[in-house]
Amino acid sequence: MMKQNSSNLSAMSLDKQNKPFIYTDEQLIARFQSGDERAYVELVNRFRDRLINFVFQFLWDREQAEDVVQDTMLKLYVKKHYYREIAKFSTWIYTIARNLANTELRKRKRRKTTLLSHMSRDEREYELPAIQPDTGSEVQSEFAEKLIQSAIHSLPEHFKTVIILRDIQELSYDDISSIVGVPLGTVKSRINRARLQLQAELKDLR
Amino acid sequence: MNRYQFEDLISEYIENELSLSKRKEFEAYLEENPDEMKLVESVRSNMSQMKGIPKVKASSDFNDRLFNRIQTNRAQLDRPIPSQRTYFGFSPIHASLMTGLVIATVFVSMQLFSPEDGGLPLQTQNFANESLPTLSNPSLQKVNHPQPDFVKVDEDSVMEDQKSKPNQDFSKKMHFVNKND
Repeated sequence: MMKQNSSNLSAMSLDKQNKPFIYTDEQLIARFQSGDERAYVELVNRFRDRLINFVFQFLWDREQAEDVVQDTMLKLYVKKHYYREIAKFSTWIYTIARNLANTELRKRKRRKTTLLSHMSRDEREYELPAIQPDTGSEVQSEFAEKLIQSAIHSLPEHFKTVIILRDIQELSYDDISSIVGVPLGTVKSRINRARLQLQAELKDLR
Repeated sequence: MNRYQFEDLISEYIENELSLSKRKEFEAYLEENPDEMKLVESVRSNMSQMKGIPKVKASSDFNDRLFNRIQTNRAQLDRPIPSQRTYFGFSPIHASLMTGLVIATVFVSMQLFSPEDGGLPLQTQNFANESLPTLSNPSLQKVNHPQPDFVKVDEDSVMEDQKSKPNQDFSKKMHFVNKND
């Protein structure tokens, strides 16, 4: 019975269906709330890559990012009735993912602190990943991407979130304002300052 | 426009979100300070590079793993969602508990301070109605206790004084005063 249910959900995946959904995200969650599990599968298909990409920018670990997004999708399944159509579905799901990513970061920080406190002084001299320019256009663009990613990573948390949402996820200012929970003007100002800080960091690195 | 105002508007300029007047002001500043154009171009280049960062994609078995997790937790997930209805801000359980508590308090209060019992607390009332126990030792019961020699109310000293004094007739005195006039 359980296996049958599992295969039913998998079979609902759009990858295996010919007929695409034409509903908006909000219509899909409404259908899912009224019991249509195909709508859930469609929502997972729509958001999984976007969310993994978003969470990856915080964690820098693909497997952990995937785990966090799995938890996000599971939360969506369990707490589907908690969504009210006062906000866009995308803002709601991004907020869940962001909160879970922050929880993971806090856990990681605690683990790191515990590990470092158990290490001797010599052991604490850990290696930083070397980023060095190389010849060849492909390698150079890869080098530029790494530079940018490390610069983003070094930004303060409140700058990092908004710049990822705007310049990598390409969300609107309004959506970012809802996800982060700060006024629109503050979002605009933070994004501008984050871009300037990023520019200053990259100028030093290049 | 000063340097700080210019920096504040860079993003809005690149994203074409400035009003016409602000845009003209911004461009006038750039003409006056051509070196600042490098900053604008640098920010613009970073923005386009960020958009070009290769996207991380979910693994091919992402959905299968997710649906398996859902199935394994289904018993837990299918639990009915607790009602979100509230009564005066209380959940149904808390509301019923509070109602029971209020009813119990009112009932106990009515028992303790019932107006029919003269407004006395229950225990005091019972105590007042209780008759004194009789002495159990028969020998003690036979003893004749001398009765206290209380003076009767109508025979007290004040009454005695009044009895001893003759009734005075003040009408004659009044008459005497009237004669002198």
